[in-house]
Amino acid sequence: MKDPVAIAISWMLTLAGGCLVAPAVVALACGEYRGIPLFLIPAAVCWLYVWRCRRVGRRAGGRLADRNAFLFVGKTWVVIMALGAIPLFLYGFSSTDKGLVDNITDAVFESVSGFTATGATVFADVESFPKCINFWRCMMHWLGGMGIIALALAVLPKVGINTSALMKAEASGSDRGRLTVKIGDTAKVLIGIYFAMTVAELMLLRFAGLGWFDSVCHALSNTATGGFSTRNESIRAFGNPAVEWICTVFMLAGAVNYACYFMLLTGRFRKFLQNSELRAFALIVAVATGVCTFVQWGREPLADALRHCAFEVAAVISTTGFMGSDYTEWAPAAQMVIFVLCVIGGCSGSTSGGVKVVRWTVLWKQLRNDVAKLIHPHGVYTIRLDGEAGRESIVPSVSAFVFVYFMLVLLTATAAAFSGMEIKAALTSSMSMVGNIGPAFGEFGGASLGPAGCYGTVAPYVKWVFSGAMLAGRLEIYTLLILVGDITSRKAEE
Amino acid sequence: MKTIIVGAGFTGVLLARKLVKDGHKVVLVDSDPERVREIGGQLDCAVMCSEGNSLEALENAGIASADALVTVTPSDEINMITCTLADAVHPKLLKIARVRNYSYFMDTVSAARKYADVVSGERRTPFGIDWIVNPEVEAAAAIGRAIAYGAVGEVIELGSGYGIASLPIGRHSPLNGKSLSQLQAVDGWHHLVAYVETQDGPVLPSGSSVLVKGNKIGVLTRLSEIQALAKLCDAPGGTSERMAVVGAGRVGSLVVMGRKPDMRNPDLDKTLGFGWKAGGKDEIVVIDEDLDRCRAMVRQFAGIRVVCGNATDDNIIREERLDRFDLVVAVSENPERNLVTAAHLKGKGATKTIALTSGSSISGLAEKMDVDISIPIRDTVVDNIIGHLRGSAVKSVHTLCRGRLELVECVAEKGSEADGRTLGELGIAGRATVLFVRHPDGKSAIPNGDTAICAGDKVVLIKPAGNTDALGLFGAE
Repeated sequence: MKDPVAIAISWMLTLAGGCLVAPAVVALACGEYRGIPLFLIPAAVCWLYVWRCRRVGRRAGGRLADRNAFLFVGKTWVVIMALGAIPLFLYGFSSTDKGLVDNITDAVFESVSGFTATGATVFADVESFPKCINFWRCMMHWLGGMGIIALALAVLPKVGINTSALMKAEASGSDRGRLTVKIGDTAKVLIGIYFAMTVAELMLLRFAGLGWFDSVCHALSNTATGGFSTRNESIRAFGNPAVEWICTVFMLAGAVNYACYFMLLTGRFRKFLQNSELRAFALIVAVATGVCTFVQWGREPLADALRHCAFEVAAVISTTGFMGSDYTEWAPAAQMVIFVLCVIGGCSGSTSGGVKVVRWTVLWKQLRNDVAKLIHPHGVYTIRLDGEAGRESIVPSVSAFVFVYFMLVLLTATAAAFSGMEIKAALTSSMSMVGNIGPAFGEFGGASLGPAGCYGTVAPYVKWVFSGAMLAGRLEIYTLLILVGDITSRKAEE
Repeated sequence: MKTIIVGAGFTGVLLARKLVKDGHKVVLVDSDPERVREIGGQLDCAVMCSEGNSLEALENAGIASADALVTVTPSDEINMITCTLADAVHPKLLKIARVRNYSYFMDTVSAARKYADVVSGERRTPFGIDWIVNPEVEAAAAIGRAIAYGAVGEVIELGSGYGIASLPIGRHSPLNGKSLSQLQAVDGWHHLVAYVETQDGPVLPSGSSVLVKGNKIGVLTRLSEIQALAKLCDAPGGTSERMAVVGAGRVGSLVVMGRKPDMRNPDLDKTLGFGWKAGGKDEIVVIDEDLDRCRAMVRQFAGIRVVCGNATDDNIIREERLDRFDLVVAVSENPERNLVTAAHLKGKGATKTIALTSGSSISGLAEKMDVDISIPIRDTVVDNIIGHLRGSAVKSVHTLCRGRLELVECVAEKGSEADGRTLGELGIAGRATVLFVRHPDGKSAIPNGDTAICAGDKVVLIKPAGNTDALGLFGAE
């Protein structure tokens, strides 16, 4: 099995299987002996699957065709999410009186939300869970985030899919500055960065006064810009400003293109500062925080307003979804800013979701060119990204993406509305799902869908629709479309 | 001095003519028998019919006794290979190649700069070529200088912040009707007139020469004072805050590069001294009819506007408001069209116009068409080559007044006639005017008869073309 994609995926699965052991160890350490089999059973299933995949890979002559590789990526996501749901399902089945279908629905929703680093939960009271379950929820984020990074920055460009047009940062320019040449090595370096960020946050949180367990869980969840917490009240439960600032910084750091860290590592500071997306991202964060703080200033002291606003701005734009304060209780203007951030999303090549800043940057530049073209009809224009001209070729694919993205939001919202959800809640929660953010606005069935609430009250079929939306948003829609196209074209061939 | 010129095209012949006039021995080599016959009757030099890139032909042309080889055939490859070939046998020979291909040129120039220490030995240059001359780069540099000083007229930089500006005397100028000796009394005048160009031709002036409206004066002045001087002459300089470049070719792109400080190329900075005032904030519009070239332009430069169309088209002029531009630079490949474009836009209301033309012979036409400055590309190249040719003592040569005067920067050599004597003792008056002397320690002076010259001094003098006596005094051939 020499194909890098297959290797990456089988690695991911082996790792996922291995990772299922981790919560079992946590269970053992915390004396939650009933939790141990919840994880060891799916771990065994996982390793069996890897073993089978390796055999398939060997049969295919050691190499999977690119088209198959794609299908394989999609399948792997589905399989891993199913795997992730097993412990939650087993726990729900053994410890609560919910029905079988409800149990499966909730477990799958939670698992999809975990692996897509969305952070929307169906459980109102996560504090009642054993530690091993909460640990596993955060771990799903972390694994998903790692998969996303590897997928987006190392695997997808290799198989010729570069819908997000981000790889330019490392794929172009002089090779002298490149850290590594081989794709496997690239993935390793990226994962190294990811790992380092996790450890750094873990240590800082511990230092700021959190317990080891909370530090670990929140570091895992935060690095992946996920959003699961061990507390019902999320970060607010700790009432610790230092923790909030640490999370703010790491949420923003998680929303930055990992290729930028690559540049920093290789000493290309100029190129780092030239990065159009990063500059736009920084500007958006600064302006949004400023506006929110200004609006909230009258309601709370300036220092608190700044801390809360910076936290929520970071939480939403990075699509993490932690709660430092409940933005649904804010002034309407500040809420509106948060809503706009939901639409924007983080940077490409990161674990954040949403439309991504780079796409808005491209569309903005195109708009500017179109307006200039009205004044100077014979003018010739180009789009520069990261100081590199001639990027206008990506405008059609970006426009198409944004179109499909919002179509998907509308479709999801319509499906949700059929369950009786009102427009505000349906639209914002769909946006939140497709953008992998987590919290939304409004309420349903008497429970808030905001950062303080959960999706537990949502109708079961809507949970499935939302799960699909999260997956579609995470796989950048196109990937999913190609996947579907691949399956249908295969059927046609057969 | 004996020079072999390979390639008897316009540039080759122009170069040969100037060298013959200066008393050099010249052998012209060209492969076209028809051309050879034609030239043989016109020039007082040996003309051979042969392929230049053969050692045998070069031997026949007398390369063994020659001091320099200049290759100016239409093919860059032949120009470079011929020099390289000659270098293999005659490494001491001075070799100059014209290279039109920008990549070849830049690669060689960059390599020469980057590996200056690596390519060691006795001044071993890449390909064994001592000087590479690229017409487009030379033209762009000349245009850049003209723009930097307000497009008032041609400006030649002499270093130390001094230069020679050529300015017309306007009707309302206080200089109008004054003799040179009276100029000191004019408020704000503290410059030196290097030459006066009257309707009968250029003269090296004396104190009694009277300036009248329509004369052009070459003035030695501080570069920073050129704009003020232009006002004094009633030839106000334009600004280049709104500049239109017509032609998105190499010259156009180099001109824009010169105006964009962040786009500078260090290799060009070094070789050409693109040291003009950078107009980073200027509004620059580039116009070309070729869409691909427009695209290339817009990709190369951020912060400029590129328009695809014909600059003389009324729609384009209206859309881009070219009639309100401070400066129009016409630098397309077609010299005649450049003149027409510049004249047309000047007529529409553009303040100043610069046109790239083929040779100085049509500079008069440019003047009649009210084009402010014409940059003759062939003369620019030939000046550059002659500068390299005139031995180590000569630093550079500029042609003035349509080729009738030459401005020469040279260094006084040890043991030359001038070494240790004053200008008065040399009796140089009448043969040339020494404008400027700079000592090796950096001190500069505008000289008079008592100024003593020492070896190593840089001397700037102006002389009629074809008269090389004055140069001989300083040790240059």
